Amino acid sequence: MAGNYRCPCCRKISSEPHDLARHYLGQTDKKHKDWLKTQGVSYAQLITWQITEFGNKGYDTLAEMLEKKAARVE
Amino acid sequence: MSNYSIIGKPTVNVDGPAKVTGEAEYTFDITLPNMLYGKLLRSPYPHAKIISIDTSAAEKLPGVKSVITGKDTPGGKYGLWRRFPELCDQEVLATTKTRFIGDPVAAVAAVSEDIAEAALDLINVEYEQLPAVFEPMEAIKDDAPLVQDDCENNINNTRHIEWGDVDEGFKNSDYIREDRFSYAAQSTACMEVHCSVASYDKGTGRLTVWSSTQSPYYLQLGISDALKIREGNIRVIKPHVGGGFGSKNSTMPDSVNAALLSMKTGRPVKITYNREEEFTTTEHRTPTQLALKIGFKKDGTLMAKEAKVITDGGAYTGLGATTLYLTGAYLSFPYNLPNYRYDGVRTYTNKVWSSSVRSFGCISALYATETQMDRAAHDLGISPIEIRRKNAMKSGYEAPGQYKIATSGLPASIDKVEARIKEKWNDLGKDEAVGFTCFAYMCGGIFNWIDTPYAFSGAMVRINNDGMVDLYTQASDIGQGTNTVSVMICAEELGIGMEDIRLHPADTAITPADLGAWASREVMMNGNAIKAAAADAKKRLIEVARMKLGENIVYDLEVKNKRIYLALRPERGFSYYEIVQDAIKLNDGEPIMGTGHYTPHGKGMVSPAFAFGSMAVRVKLDRETGLIEVKDIINAHDCGQIINPLGVRGQVEGSIQLGLGWGLCEEIIFDEKGMVLNPSFVDYKLVRHRDMPTIESIDVHTYEPEGPFGAKEAAEGTVAPTPPAVANAVYKMTGALFNTNVMRPEKVLKAIREAEKKEKSNS
Repeated sequence: MAGNYRCPCCRKISSEPHDLARHYLGQTDKKHKDWLKTQGVSYAQLITWQITEFGNKGYDTLAEMLEKKAARVE
Repeated sequence: MSNYSIIGKPTVNVDGPAKVTGEAEYTFDITLPNMLYGKLLRSPYPHAKIISIDTSAAEKLPGVKSVITGKDTPGGKYGLWRRFPELCDQEVLATTKTRFIGDPVAAVAAVSEDIAEAALDLINVEYEQLPAVFEPMEAIKDDAPLVQDDCENNINNTRHIEWGDVDEGFKNSDYIREDRFSYAAQSTACMEVHCSVASYDKGTGRLTVWSSTQSPYYLQLGISDALKIREGNIRVIKPHVGGGFGSKNSTMPDSVNAALLSMKTGRPVKITYNREEEFTTTEHRTPTQLALKIGFKKDGTLMAKEAKVITDGGAYTGLGATTLYLTGAYLSFPYNLPNYRYDGVRTYTNKVWSSSVRSFGCISALYATETQMDRAAHDLGISPIEIRRKNAMKSGYEAPGQYKIATSGLPASIDKVEARIKEKWNDLGKDEAVGFTCFAYMCGGIFNWIDTPYAFSGAMVRINNDGMVDLYTQASDIGQGTNTVSVMICAEELGIGMEDIRLHPADTAITPADLGAWASREVMMNGNAIKAAAADAKKRLIEVARMKLGENIVYDLEVKNKRIYLALRPERGFSYYEIVQDAIKLNDGEPIMGTGHYTPHGKGMVSPAFAFGSMAVRVKLDRETGLIEVKDIINAHDCGQIINPLGVRGQVEGSIQLGLGWGLCEEIIFDEKGMVLNPSFVDYKLVRHRDMPTIESIDVHTYEPEGPFGAKEAAEGTVAPTPPAVANAVYKMTGALFNTNVMRPEKVLKAIREAEKKEKSNS
């Protein structure tokens, strides 16, 4: 499906899942964190991966998830 | 040869005589008629629910005029990050729970400090202790106690910076290394402790606050938010300040509680922290854990860098979220970096909060960068100076989406310091070595988290009939010489003498808003605003002179040495004073006014400009005791066009002193319950004057087009390169790796033993 990705919790729209993942992990409000819980992953886990291991594991994991779950908009 | 009359000339501080004779008035010195003295009752627990507070006994103590608790405050939270309400997390007094040992829970106003102190003992607070968290990696766990109840995982702030293709950069590298660093907290150790005097006029509903602050405007906004008072009803006056070093940007409990107690009593109230409060309850340098990976080609070309950072934020935000971002920004300096990735997280913990301290974000970043450069140079068989020269940022460099470097004197600074090392230090003794580092520092931040609609800096000038100029600026002199530089810039632009200028600084009732003294922003931002205001007024004078001369409009006029004249025929002109009088008459009798402002535009996200430089230190090591002696320093600093050489020298030397403290001996030590164990100058070791090395300060001249008269920062740049230069010298002698600051002798000995062991096992 073509189009941009919309954040499941706010109005942020990104053309690329990694960009949306970066936005997502920058948000510290409950709404964003709660959606992650419904997807079976914790915000803390993603952040921990991102800051304790070299590489982009936190973003990659979230981007993969958002690519599948985020609504697409033109 | 400079064409300036005042800029670039060594100039004694305009407030120097008042300071050295003891005439200068600090907030600490202020006593108002009928004034009361306030004291704060603080939590003895790192994390505790407030069950009840009984103030009745304290209220009955003779001499006590008011006792307030959280219930007497308007409620709500406040902070510097006003654009992000979730980061405004401070309370005037704790209402439901306390978050660190020292969090204020009640305040007393009495006729003397002793009575106020005695009254604190009579306040009975019933607490229920809560589980607490003290380490960042523990704090972000799902089951960790929450410091701020609405902040899950205690993640106060995150930052991600990335450009290029980092993974590809490492793939194409011939040499990759990883190092992990851990830094301790450092106190600002201001000579003048936090202190505020507040006076509320019940008749007009107006509040005046004198405070030892770095930003009168931030304080005005902070008090407005905290006490729900209209901004315009609050006047903040900054008297002389005995040092801030970053710890006086936030609105602190002394100011808001003095204000609230004054509102309750109708009398002026003064709150002065004692030294123990200063150490245990005010903002300090951010403890940081940092992992750094770097990749090079065989020839020393830097290919990629990746950094992971977690910081111990303590109980509140302060300017700590900015520190986190700046750590990431500075980790990309001062070398060409095609591929870069940074992730940073700031956590809440149940400790006094960390924030901005002189060279904030930079010192932790540069220590890692510069020690790693030497390690890489060693492994690649390249000299530490050559690897830096090869990668040094040059004028025109751009970090995608982050910043642009219009002018960099870094390559020239490397050459100059190298030349001086060869000339001066060809007699190194036994157990002596030279450590080398490079650095960069910002000229103010392009940050508006405070959410002001005003320009970042503003200024006004008024030229009176006798030629005397009133200069109104909120530029905050906190000991760094801003008052002097402000007058110099104004005088140069108007072509008059410094004695022709009467400075009215840092009073929110009469000066245009300004963001304050942090991140070395005063010369760049206030300097530009002052220059623009002076130019605005000068324009009126030139119009009048042109009319009087009756010359062709293509001829330029100059104002210099108190004369206004034709640039190409200096003999044709008038005295400045004569033109001022004519201009006022032609202005319907009104003094000549000029206004100016500055807000950076089109300069990226970090700073409008950057200063650069290089430093070499000559170090002697006592291998038996582990004692490091820093004997001499050569520093070459590109701070653009120097405004005041005397001021620059003072700033460079002061920065080096603070940097040496961070590197060698200064550390706030916490116990496992978050209590500060060394809250006095007996147990907290500072670098003192007698410990200072000789310092040769070399000017690397550039002309920064964004700066006033081409100037850049000089106030903080040399804090950060000093500790890694020392570590690099010891590394050169012993191979010892220092991945923490505070190189105390016992740590030095341990590192040397480890290096020896490693060498033995390798051989």
